[in-house]
Amino acid sequence: MAQVPVQTIHRDPQLFYWILFPITIVMILTGVLRHYATVLMASAPKKLDRKTMREQRALLHGINVRGNYHVLSKPSFTARRDALITAYESGAYLKDPDARGQPPPNPMSDPSAMEGMMGMMKNQMAMIIPNTLIMSWVNAFFSGYVIMKLPFPLTVKFKSMLQAGVATKDMDPRWMSSISWYFLCIFGLQSVFNFLLGSDNAANQMAQQMTQMGPQAGQMFGPGIDPNKQFLAEAENLAVIEHHSVLDGVEQRLLEAVKV
Amino acid sequence: MPSERELEISPIVQESLIHNSRTLYNLQSLTASLFGISAGILGLESYSGFLFYLIFSLLTAVLFYLVRVAPSSLAAGKSPLDTSRYFRGPFEFWAGGLMNGLAGFILTWTLLYGLVRA
Repeated sequence: MAQVPVQTIHRDPQLFYWILFPITIVMILTGVLRHYATVLMASAPKKLDRKTMREQRALLHGINVRGNYHVLSKPSFTARRDALITAYESGAYLKDPDARGQPPPNPMSDPSAMEGMMGMMKNQMAMIIPNTLIMSWVNAFFSGYVIMKLPFPLTVKFKSMLQAGVATKDMDPRWMSSISWYFLCIFGLQSVFNFLLGSDNAANQMAQQMTQMGPQAGQMFGPGIDPNKQFLAEAENLAVIEHHSVLDGVEQRLLEAVKV
Repeated sequence: MPSERELEISPIVQESLIHNSRTLYNLQSLTASLFGISAGILGLESYSGFLFYLIFSLLTAVLFYLVRVAPSSLAAGKSPLDTSRYFRGPFEFWAGGLMNGLAGFILTWTLLYGLVRA
C-alpha cells in the first residue's frame, strides 16, 4: 500500500486571530450571558393559597409516611395510616370538596398552567435564539475558511460535516472549517463553564436538555391532574403496607456486634 | 448490593451522594481540559493522544482514591479499591471521567494542537 503523503496547507497565521479566537470568545461569552439571563428570568415560585398548599402538603405527608414507615413504631404508624386514609377517602384535604368526581378542567384555561408553559417557552427561547444567531453569524462571516487540523484521523464520512462550505474533493477530512470549530465549542465548553460559573450553571444547552429529559418533580401537582384520584391512590398505597420497624430484633444485632 | 433491610438500618443520604458525584464530575471535567492542553502542546496525534487521555484520567481516579477516599474508607473496614462508602458504583468512579471529560479534552487538544503544530 502506498503511503499517502501528509497534506500541508499553508494558512495565514492571522486566521487564528480573526476567526478562531472570535468564535471561541463569543461562544464563551454567550454561555455566560445565557447563564445570567436564565438566573434573572427565573420567575419566583408563585405564592399558593392556603387550600392548595394544604392539598399538596397532605399528599406529600402520605408519601413520606409510606417511604419512611420503618422508623415509626407499630402503633404510631397505624394511627397515622388510619388518620390519613380516612381523610383521603373523605376528601378532607381537597381544595374544593364540591368538585369531587368531576372531570378536571381544561389545562389550557387555567391561568396558573399558562404561567408554567410560559416559563418553559422562555427557557427554550433562551436556548434557540442565541444558537441560531451565532450559527448564522459564523456562516455569514467565516464560511469557506479552513482553519485547523484535527489531531486524529477521521473517515471520509465526516467530510461533509467538518468541511461544510469548502468544496474540495481530495482534502483530508482532518482539516476543519470554522463551522465545525463552532460545533466543537458547543460540545466541549461545558468544562470551561463549570470552571467559570460553578457546576450548576445554565450556560450549556446540552446539559439543560439532559435535565429536561429526566423526570420532573414539579409534574406531580401539575394542572389537569385530579387531586382526588391522587389521594385515593395514595390511600391504597398506604393500606397495603406491611409494617415492620428498624428496631425489630435490635437486641440481637447489638449482641452480635458487641461479641463479648 | 445492600439489601433493603440494611438500607433501612443505615440509610444512604441522597444529597451527600449527589454532592460527591458533583465534586468528582468537576474534577474530571477540569482535568480533562488540562490533559487536552498538555496533549496539544506535546503535539500528540491520533492513538497516542487518546492513550494519553486514558492513562491520565485513570491516574487521576487513582490519585483521587488514594488522597480523598482511601483514608476514611479503609478505616471503615472497606476492602482496598472499594469506593462504595462515597459513590454509587465502581463504574461511575473509575470510568465516569472518560465519558464526562472527553468533549472538553478534544476541544482543548484540537485548539492547542492547531496553535502549536499546524
